Amino acid sequence: MQRSNIFDYKHYFYFKIAVVVILLGFAAYLLFEPTVGHYGGSWLGYVLGTLSAIMVLWMAWYGVRKRRYRGTGATQGWLSAHIYLGTALTVLVTLHSGFHFGLNIHTLAYGLLLVVVVSGFFGNYTYMIYPRQMTENMGEDNLDGLLLRIAEADKMARQIALIMPDNINNAVARACSETSIGIGLLEQLRGYQPNCPTAMAVEQLTLMGKDLSTELRKPYRELYSIMVRRQSLVKRVRQDLMYRSRLGFWLYFHVPFTIALLVAMMAHIIAVFFYW
Amino acid sequence: MIHCLLIKVSNNKRGLPVRSYRTLTADELTIGRGVECTISLPDPRIALHHAVIKRLENGQPHLMAVNGELEVDGAMQQSIALTHGKKIMVGPYQLKVEPAPPDVSLSISLELTHHLPDDFQDLKSRTHEPLQNALSFKRRLSMWMAALIALIFLVLPLAQSLIPQLHASMAQLPFGFDRVWSPGHISNAHLHFGSQCANCHQTLTHKVSDQACMTCHRDTAPHITDSKLQQLAFNPTKRLSYGVRCAECHLEHKAPHPLARQDNATCVKCHGNIKATNPKTKLPNIHDFDLDHPDFKLTFSIGPTAKDIERIPQNETARLVEKSGLKFPHSQHFGKVQGPDGVWDVRELTCTNCHHPEGKEMRFKPVSYNQDCQACHASQLVVGPAKAAIHLPHGTEQNVINTLKVQAPKQLAHYAEILKSDGCSYCHEINETKKDDVLPWRIMPLRISQDWFSKAHFNHASHRTQQCQSCHQVEQSDSSADVAMPDRKSCLRCHSGNNPKPKRIASGCMSCHDFHSSHTAQAIEPVAVPAK
Repeated sequence: MQRSNIFDYKHYFYFKIAVVVILLGFAAYLLFEPTVGHYGGSWLGYVLGTLSAIMVLWMAWYGVRKRRYRGTGATQGWLSAHIYLGTALTVLVTLHSGFHFGLNIHTLAYGLLLVVVVSGFFGNYTYMIYPRQMTENMGEDNLDGLLLRIAEADKMARQIALIMPDNINNAVARACSETSIGIGLLEQLRGYQPNCPTAMAVEQLTLMGKDLSTELRKPYRELYSIMVRRQSLVKRVRQDLMYRSRLGFWLYFHVPFTIALLVAMMAHIIAVFFYW
Repeated sequence: MIHCLLIKVSNNKRGLPVRSYRTLTADELTIGRGVECTISLPDPRIALHHAVIKRLENGQPHLMAVNGELEVDGAMQQSIALTHGKKIMVGPYQLKVEPAPPDVSLSISLELTHHLPDDFQDLKSRTHEPLQNALSFKRRLSMWMAALIALIFLVLPLAQSLIPQLHASMAQLPFGFDRVWSPGHISNAHLHFGSQCANCHQTLTHKVSDQACMTCHRDTAPHITDSKLQQLAFNPTKRLSYGVRCAECHLEHKAPHPLARQDNATCVKCHGNIKATNPKTKLPNIHDFDLDHPDFKLTFSIGPTAKDIERIPQNETARLVEKSGLKFPHSQHFGKVQGPDGVWDVRELTCTNCHHPEGKEMRFKPVSYNQDCQACHASQLVVGPAKAAIHLPHGTEQNVINTLKVQAPKQLAHYAEILKSDGCSYCHEINETKKDDVLPWRIMPLRISQDWFSKAHFNHASHRTQQCQSCHQVEQSDSSADVAMPDRKSCLRCHSGNNPKPKRIASGCMSCHDFHSSHTAQAIEPVAVPAK
């Protein structure tokens, strides 16, 4: 069993550091207020800004560090620091801004940072919640196992449907040959597919079973239960796909916006010292 | 009746075609998935009753669709004549009319050409990977955003600054590319040229220089009237590399905050240790009004011109005597007083009966006899017996003596003596004159101090919610020599120093003082700015 995770790494060491950093930032902010109000160009503003810039670079370096197998400290510790100090960094940057926002490079850099941090929070959330739910969803199975079971159900359903009337046979055949899993990004993230052929087939079978001759009743019931089982299997596969896509989706924002943030931060610093 | 030879073509284990033969005899041959069909094809893609082969009236065997679909060369058909060599798709099966042997009327072969796909592989091909192309998407998004931000927020503004041609052509536009670098709102006064950054940020990587400010503010006076002191305080070599620039205290991009700094930090920088700036000064160190501000100095007028003043600290109480040239007891002119018409004429006097506020800052008009005194006091002095009374209007001593000379030339000296001891001297101090003077005596010139705190500014309007007496205690004053100006302690009842205190208002240096009276300092000569 894993004794510690990224959150309580070394008895919340980085959490404590983050709290201290935030408190120090707030204390300095309250104690040293320039008469014109807080702004990035006061001496406190420069201190907070420099500290924040270094922290941003360090946070971004985590992306490089985690791809290396060797390096100082455990990657788990790096991630723990990445999460907690990234949160503290957001507070420092907000204090650095002095709550002045406008249509300019400075606020753009701030906005990009917020996108990065918020997407990071979402990523955190997914890693806290989804692995457990994935295990609950898949149980002992894996994806190929589930697909095999669906294929098996298909074969059985088709066999029974051969003796059924054409509409039932067609519905089953369509469900078997046309059900697909995770077509688009939206379907993957939702874990649900509108107009799923399997779900439609089950719905149609419910109606079609009413006027069957007595000798077809028994095979029909068997067919129906197979199709319902197929539907639940398909749903589980879609859920699994949903969890896996959600676990990765936040990186669509976290990584590109980090790159954008680094460029914007550079422009911000250059702008400030060019027009000093 | 149809005699049909049915040839079923299938593949053996090696994949070679195997033909099995069967003869069918029936009125019509039904083809379908159902077991009751003459030709039963167990495939989900075949309808239960798919098609039927029967002879038409002309005896030609035809294949006719029932519930399924028939396809010849990609076209759907309902009824197809079964002539030699015809190929028809019945669902996944290919039906071909073969050459018939002599004992049958029709020979057809059926071959499953479209096999059902493998279920698992088929399903797997329809199961997509989560977040396909995530890596390339993230790469492209990163590159696009980075490129766009670099272009708009770095390359274009830099190009405008560094390429002179671009800079010149952009100067005509309302905004430059570098507008996106502006860190905050520009003050209202500078807004009309502030959208072009280069107007103030003239040299890249250098702070805004005083020259940039002087482009417009050419006639601004040096902030310290004493030029030597100006040198001492603003010495460029003393602080960092730039010295004290205009922009150190006049902070731009901070609107709606006022442009000039309002705090004490800049004042205390020198005045907290004033000897360091000017070793010869007699001024004490000051950090805070509440803490170490010295007692006020009152400005007394001692001569005819505005420059004839003497400033006396309020703690030197013995010297605080106003020599105004008037005899005026405030105590007799305050509250309920007796009017000129006898004991029943009771009048209520307040400060504003005589002191009339004037202007936005509520300074006071000089008290005038005609306007303020005559409501109670007579407009003329009367001398001489009742029969030949001489009426002397309020005016200069020259006028008074002239009137006497005209009306009672013989008694001039007598009447002049009476006025000296009782008439004019009732209110005025009288000066003896020298022997060769044309007048026997003169009224002492009036020296009423108008601006007691000449080095500070005081706004009565800001204090109009207070009673006059709470600062100026004149009810008990019997003499016009008394000075009724409030001292620092009485200010401190309501005001504190730099920081607010309970029930006291924070008051910095700039609350009362101008920065070295910069507004009254002499303007420097306009400097011609060399054309670029």
